[in-house]
Amino acid sequence: MIPFTRHGVLVIVRLSDLEAEVLRDLAGQLTELLGDRATTHEAPTDAGSAAALFAQLGIGGSTVAPLDPALARLLPDAYKNDLSASSEHRRLTEGGLVDRKIAHARLVVASLTSSPITLDEAAAQSWLRTLTDLRLTIASRLRIIDDGDEGTGDEALLDVYDWLGYLQGTLLDAIE
Amino acid sequence: MTTPTIERETERGTVLYAVEQPDTPWVTIVWNDPVNLQTYVTYVFKSYFGHSREEAERLMLLVHHEGRAVVASGGREEMERHVEAMHDYGLWATLAKDDA
Repeated sequence: MIPFTRHGVLVIVRLSDLEAEVLRDLAGQLTELLGDRATTHEAPTDAGSAAALFAQLGIGGSTVAPLDPALARLLPDAYKNDLSASSEHRRLTEGGLVDRKIAHARLVVASLTSSPITLDEAAAQSWLRTLTDLRLTIASRLRIIDDGDEGTGDEALLDVYDWLGYLQGTLLDAIE
Repeated sequence: MTTPTIERETERGTVLYAVEQPDTPWVTIVWNDPVNLQTYVTYVFKSYFGHSREEAERLMLLVHHEGRAVVASGGREEMERHVEAMHDYGLWATLAKDDA
């Protein structure tokens, strides 16, 4: 059964109950992982400070790359050999990037509760991006470094990784 | 492509040149990663940059075989927006000065 088929402007999703449960669980975990990052630089309580104003405007986040390699891959430095420019870019943009990734993952979780699952264009974009973020996260846990690399060789996790790739490939086929 | 602009900006004098010029040549670089599907990378180049399928595939293959490809050039702020958009898509991208 092909998981995604185009029906006019909508994409119809067909997943088994187990597949839907796995995806819901993974997307939930991704939200938690990103949520940890979002709360590491919560808005300061001193309401009058410049930092509080920046936080209100959605800027003024962390300046340091995440230690967790999966988070570091999801939220990479914008400059390769310029730490101070990377820090400044991260301070201004990382909060928004994290918020958008969380919103996409939450939308995936929410759409999995409907039956049948239908995706409009925006929802399909959220699915594409969340499937990507999940694959990046799992690849990091598997320590996949090179093309064709199977990392630690954890078969169960590799199966999930390949399945997510299959989902993304068929979703792309349905969209294009 | 950018050389005449640089010369013109230089002739305006040092004060103007000390300020970051919007058309200072910067580039957006996308790096190869072992995770993203070739079809997905092509899709991103096509849908975000508005490239034809042929151009999007050419850039994707360049990333795949060379390990990196310049996918856009222009002002620094524009390249920062492109890099942020690539990170939204889950592609690994950085920006750099064109001569870097």
